[in-house]
Amino acid sequence: MKADPSFWYLARASGLLAYALLTGSVLAGLVLKARPFDRLLRPAAITDFHRFVALLGLGSIAIHGAALVLDSTVQISPLALVVPGLVSYRPLATALGTLAALGMLLVYVSFPLRKRIGARAWRRLHWLTYAVFALATVHGLAAGSDTRETWALALYGAATGAVLGATAWRILVPPTRGGKQRVPDRDRPLPV
Amino acid sequence: MYRIEIDRSLCSSYGSCIDAAPELFELGPDGVAVARVDVTKAPEALEAALACPMAAITVSEARERAA
Repeated sequence: MKADPSFWYLARASGLLAYALLTGSVLAGLVLKARPFDRLLRPAAITDFHRFVALLGLGSIAIHGAALVLDSTVQISPLALVVPGLVSYRPLATALGTLAALGMLLVYVSFPLRKRIGARAWRRLHWLTYAVFALATVHGLAAGSDTRETWALALYGAATGAVLGATAWRILVPPTRGGKQRVPDRDRPLPV
Repeated sequence: MYRIEIDRSLCSSYGSCIDAAPELFELGPDGVAVARVDVTKAPEALEAALACPMAAITVSEARERAA
């Protein structure tokens, strides 16, 4: 009897969706910090979008993992979803995906703990998002079954280009507030 | 009437509150947001609280003092 490919398709679709949602959340976070559109976008809407899309991304990752366990194309145990290196299929690429998912979860759950760990430590931890995005990109390219498709390459290219572009904007263009006030960086020591 | 409170330990100088309500907030010399008024009728105070990425702004209802 031919195996039902439904879970395999679900795993691929949810993985790509999780990557798109992660990209959206990262971009919203960069827009919040760098304000390239000044006051054209409501800050409250960007903040809401940033958090909500990150949560949706984690949900998609959960579906991605569950579908991979339930599917018979690749043998993956529930334990292998949280312990990097236990998957025999493309072990390095899948391990990077596990690390990216754990990193994203860590960043997300750190928000309600921001008071306890301190805002400075929380901001440092948030830098981990760049590593999460890089790991997710390499994971998708190296482990994804759709990588050879033109549309998949376009997705990875557009996502990476957008995040790199927004990051460059953040670095090169000082943000302004209310159209005039320059914002000091809390991680940078104040001039004496 | 809304009472504005800012948790200085959480404010990370994003400045989203100033984008949302420049007439109510400003950044102090140390980069921490400061409310220009303690109490306001402006609904933008709520918008600023929602905009803060660190959720450092609390807006609560303040009773108007009887004349």
